[in-house]
Amino acid sequence: MAEVILKNLSKRWGDFVGVDNQSLDIHDKEFLVLLGPSGCGKTTTMRMIAGLEEPTSGEIWIGERQVNDDLPKDRDVAMVFQNYGLYPHMTIFDNIAYPLKVRGTPKAEIRPRVERAAAQVELTQFLDRKPKALSGGQRQRVALARAIVRTPKVFLMDEPLSNLDAKLRVTMRAELKHLSRELKVTTVYVTHDQIEAMTLADRVAVMKHGIIQQLGTPDEIYNDPANLFVAGFIGSPAMNLVRGRIEGGQFLTEDGVKLSPIASEDRSEVVLGVRADDINVHEAGEGDIDAPIYAFENTGEASFLTVEWGDQRVIARGDRHLRKDQDDVVGLSLNPDHLYLFDPNTEKRIRL
Amino acid sequence: MTGKQRKQVWNAVQLTLIMIATFIMLVPIVWIFLAAFKTHVDVYQLKLFFTPTLENFSTVFDDPYRLGEKLFNSTIVALVTVIFAIPIATCAAYSFSRFRLRGETTMLVMILATQFVPAVVIILPFFVMFRDVGLLDTRLGLILVNLAIVMPFAIWMIKGFIDGIPMDTEEAAMVDGSSRLQVIWNIVLPMAAPGLLTAAIFCFIIAWNEFLFALILTNKNAVTLPIGLALFKGEEGDLWNLLSAAGIIIMAPMFVLALLIRKYFVQGMTMGAVR
Repeated sequence: MAEVILKNLSKRWGDFVGVDNQSLDIHDKEFLVLLGPSGCGKTTTMRMIAGLEEPTSGEIWIGERQVNDDLPKDRDVAMVFQNYGLYPHMTIFDNIAYPLKVRGTPKAEIRPRVERAAAQVELTQFLDRKPKALSGGQRQRVALARAIVRTPKVFLMDEPLSNLDAKLRVTMRAELKHLSRELKVTTVYVTHDQIEAMTLADRVAVMKHGIIQQLGTPDEIYNDPANLFVAGFIGSPAMNLVRGRIEGGQFLTEDGVKLSPIASEDRSEVVLGVRADDINVHEAGEGDIDAPIYAFENTGEASFLTVEWGDQRVIARGDRHLRKDQDDVVGLSLNPDHLYLFDPNTEKRIRL
Repeated sequence: MTGKQRKQVWNAVQLTLIMIATFIMLVPIVWIFLAAFKTHVDVYQLKLFFTPTLENFSTVFDDPYRLGEKLFNSTIVALVTVIFAIPIATCAAYSFSRFRLRGETTMLVMILATQFVPAVVIILPFFVMFRDVGLLDTRLGLILVNLAIVMPFAIWMIKGFIDGIPMDTEEAAMVDGSSRLQVIWNIVLPMAAPGLLTAAIFCFIIAWNEFLFALILTNKNAVTLPIGLALFKGEEGDLWNLLSAAGIIIMAPMFVLALLIRKYFVQGMTMGAVR
């Protein structure tokens, strides 16, 4: 068990920058999620920790040891791959036992340890089968069991759930969470799915273009986004981002629709961020502003209204019993405690 | 015509076409098979029913033909060629598949290009070189030639199979604690085994059937089976019954191999084709 420290880590391929001079302290026993869209450098960062990719510059420390020059096998990490990376010619038992065998664990120890790992991921009855006889979820469990059969210093998980269907992903997510709380091993988890990040992480590092945009707990990332990118990436539906200006304590959209009072000095260019949850839906005339409905969506657990403010569309979340129709007019009011302002040029947050 | 009838007619057409194709391919082999068991007198008649004799098979192994020696030469040459070709080709193929090498594409194309050179063009240099170093009419010489012939082919074929093994699997093994050699031994080789077997058999067939080089580079001690066939052109004319018996002996291992590896063969062919 150990902490992982990245110091000024970079990875470049010619002119292309994969990871750009990033530093990150991952605490002992922490579950850290690297979150970002594809190509943001999150997988590259993880592969450098695993030793599968060589950093262009910078240091990687696992525990007390700088591991830059260590082969993957000497770093004492375990990795779960997106495509599982199982050994198709071996039985499930041999798959799980492989890390023990290749590291010279005494034969007598192998069987009980494999059986315990298999039991932890509920695979006991499949040990004699080959991977191709298992379903996707079961294969991912094998990959997990192969990781937990040893007690490595660090777990690395590269989008482990993204090849599973939606329903299974939710179940496996819960199992992963349960397992990680049980094992208490430092874990680095890569995903592009913000729900996975929110639910699993102790801390999330949101990445874009090889740069960590924000590092914080899921709460901080969700409630206190550092910039436009994080604000737009986290949350489902994504945070509404409305371009406009501030005049005399009022936010006006680009086309001059008066939206909401806001405690800020006048600004000519600004982006207002507001989550669907923080837009209250009223009957027409009862809110701060009336707007026509562009689309009404009922998901069963809530209703989502896409409304038009001038040229811009925003999504508001209404009560699950609310029933409206396209082109109906509703009244809206914004929750003044949860408004965010961003500078559209620097994309940085403007603190109120 | 109902759909069922149409299907039956179509099946019949397909079957007929297959039968015709099979017939065309098998007629020479059937002829040889029959001739091998006929006497010298019967061989020129297209008789399907005759008294079969095994005499031809014993004759070809006796003086002056001594086919046993040629059989031995062929076996040694083909086997040793395969035994060396497959491991070397596997190493080369793995490197081409997994490492980015300087001039990689050029090397691969050059290796392939050697296959386009007609054998007759390079046979003279081979003859002169072998004469100078004393490799003429030796099994070692033939093995070297055969290695040069099968290696490019084996490298390309095995590379296809290794390309088909997901990188994830190898990386998983490395993180799990294997060295590169352990990855190759524990993961890559077992997964590529059908492909290696297919390549080995192809190489064996090529080496076993190789004619031109053996014709020019051997004359007595290292003569192989295909060259041995020419022995049966005697003063009495072509000894078709003996020729056929020898032909059966050449073909027999191919048939046995084909039967043994049918399953892997198809698997290997398709595995290389679709990644």
